[in-house]
Amino acid sequence: MEKKFFQTSIKDSLFTGLIALALFGPIVGLRTVAKNEVLEVHPKWFIVLIIVIVCAVGRFLTNLYVYNRDQKTGIQTSIGKSISNFLDTKGYQIALTAIIFSVIFPFLPFTDRYLMDIAIMMLTYIMLGWGLNIVIGLAGLLDLGYVAFYAVGAYSYALFAIHFGWSFWICLPIAGIFAAMFGVLLGFPVLRLRGDYLAIVTLAFGEMIRILLLNWYQLTKGPDGLTGIPRPSFFGLPFKSFPDEGEQTFHTFFGIEYDPMQRIIFLYYLILVLALITNLFTIKIRRLPIGRAWEALREDEIACKSLGVNPRNTKLTAFAIGAMFGGFAGSFFATRQAFISPESFTFIESAIIVAIVVLGGMGSQTGVVLATVFLIGLIEVFRDFESYRMIAFGGAMVLIMIFRPRGILATRKPTITLEKSSSK
Amino acid sequence: MSQKLLDVENLTMKFGGLVAIDNLSFSADKDKITSIIGPNGAGKTTVFNCLTGFYKASAGSMFLNKENERLNLRKFSDFKVAQKAGVARTFQNIRLFPQMSVLENLMVAQHNKLMDASGFTILGLFNSPSFVKKEKEAVGISKYWLDIIGLTHRADDDAGDLPYGDQRKLEIVRAMCINPHLLCLDEPAAGLNAKESAELNKLLLFIKNEKKTGILLIEHDMSVVMEISDHVVVLNYGKKIFQGSAKETKNSPEVIEAYLGTEE
Repeated sequence: MEKKFFQTSIKDSLFTGLIALALFGPIVGLRTVAKNEVLEVHPKWFIVLIIVIVCAVGRFLTNLYVYNRDQKTGIQTSIGKSISNFLDTKGYQIALTAIIFSVIFPFLPFTDRYLMDIAIMMLTYIMLGWGLNIVIGLAGLLDLGYVAFYAVGAYSYALFAIHFGWSFWICLPIAGIFAAMFGVLLGFPVLRLRGDYLAIVTLAFGEMIRILLLNWYQLTKGPDGLTGIPRPSFFGLPFKSFPDEGEQTFHTFFGIEYDPMQRIIFLYYLILVLALITNLFTIKIRRLPIGRAWEALREDEIACKSLGVNPRNTKLTAFAIGAMFGGFAGSFFATRQAFISPESFTFIESAIIVAIVVLGGMGSQTGVVLATVFLIGLIEVFRDFESYRMIAFGGAMVLIMIFRPRGILATRKPTITLEKSSSK
Repeated sequence: MSQKLLDVENLTMKFGGLVAIDNLSFSADKDKITSIIGPNGAGKTTVFNCLTGFYKASAGSMFLNKENERLNLRKFSDFKVAQKAGVARTFQNIRLFPQMSVLENLMVAQHNKLMDASGFTILGLFNSPSFVKKEKEAVGISKYWLDIIGLTHRADDDAGDLPYGDQRKLEIVRAMCINPHLLCLDEPAAGLNAKESAELNKLLLFIKNEKKTGILLIEHDMSVVMEISDHVVVLNYGKKIFQGSAKETKNSPEVIEAYLGTEE
């Protein structure tokens, strides 16, 4: 038995090596160089050899230690189990620690401008992930065009703030409402679609919004983008180094030195609060009838109908609420950047957010955080090796899929339990 | 005219050229169990799908008589049959929410009531006392039904992890949680062993006698049909070929012919 397994593993890894050779041979091995207006082929067989060996050996090792189901001590089961056990038992403490850490983060000694920027970016993605989690994780509607609502939020915030001069706190809910309206707009035509068909339509919707923004020049300035979006103020106190005559600013009001970090720290707390609101809202709504209906709809739509649950309203609210949080995140994005253009809202953004939700474990709030830190953090670590970033990103996804095929956190806790509600 | 709970009159369902149900009329009583039997492909499930709004009947009418109103089920589309008219159903292949807990399954069945209580989620978000009270009541109702089918100890487990027989029973009490006037069961005994069938009979008799809910039953398991049916309707090729009590049905030559063929 053991020996036979060994043999099939070797066969399998040799086969993997062959596939790697067929793939990387032409892609990596044959390099064309233009020399004196003549195209020459420079073969790089050594690198191909290394790649093929890495693939074959890697496959052999995963066969032996990960996919080996006879061996109870396989890495997959042990690592997976210990992770989920740890997170199950200590979930509350971990969440609390994470929140405390993120609150004191700006004042830690090693925190600098660069880390703050990354933290703000991560929190934006976490918020988007939590928003999309309502649509994908709870309601089970695979939405590949989520970035559209992010864009609608950003543009409606920017347009209202620029043209009417309204403050951040007025424009924020307006942007959210606009995004929610677009959510309903997308929701209506796709009510009957599920799975892959739904994914295609939402993908197209995301592209439509981007192309609309690109071509509606009178309103959106097309590819030039919108500039001069007002920065947020601290309850009416702007962050400025040189205040106008008689103007109160943040640093004059509190009588402290001006420091550009003040605005960054404020932005950080702003997105932290927005993200936490998204999270609390989702946790709460999951326990309400509507949240339970979303999950029921994900499980079985026909059974829902037979119980008198209105699938149309249930789906539309999921789209609308998910889109609303996307819109909030969009307005934050607009006010942080002070400049937005359609380029920021391409399909790759949707793909990253979907990846965060799926890799985190559908429907898991903590999973979204872990996946964001893992994926975005990894992309940032590889910032200096520009061309390897996407390889790292892809590699991370492959690793998660090998070790945790249903996402980092795949366990689902019931929204209501008999013990708790009867002991109340 | 006697007040029947359900009056189906001249119901016809065509799929293109195929006539699945042909001019079918029958009625079901309140607090009685009416069985619909027939060979495979006789159109039994199609009758259910028409009744519960999953199909739109080609012709005919289906009246549900409540205490003081007479509703034509044809006017309701899918989920409204359950929501507005109070007709609940189960499915031939069990359709629970497998990754949700047993209790959650029963709570989803009480969705409309709870949705109203949660003030379209807004009151619920702020834990309004009226909503909390309603939710507690709903949990109470769920627990009542779980006690009856003896699954209280598994209330917080995933419904998909239950044994097959328990899943059947859970699906039936889930349908009861919408507080229906008429309960339509599509082959509830399929795949059950003798002991589980006996428990099922007990549950159905309880629903009939204590809850005064009319039951419409499609079944192949004759031990279930003969033991608990008050009234049997036999279909073949979409037509009613016989109706009567269980005993009469057993001895009817038409029914025997439909099932076993004629003697040459």
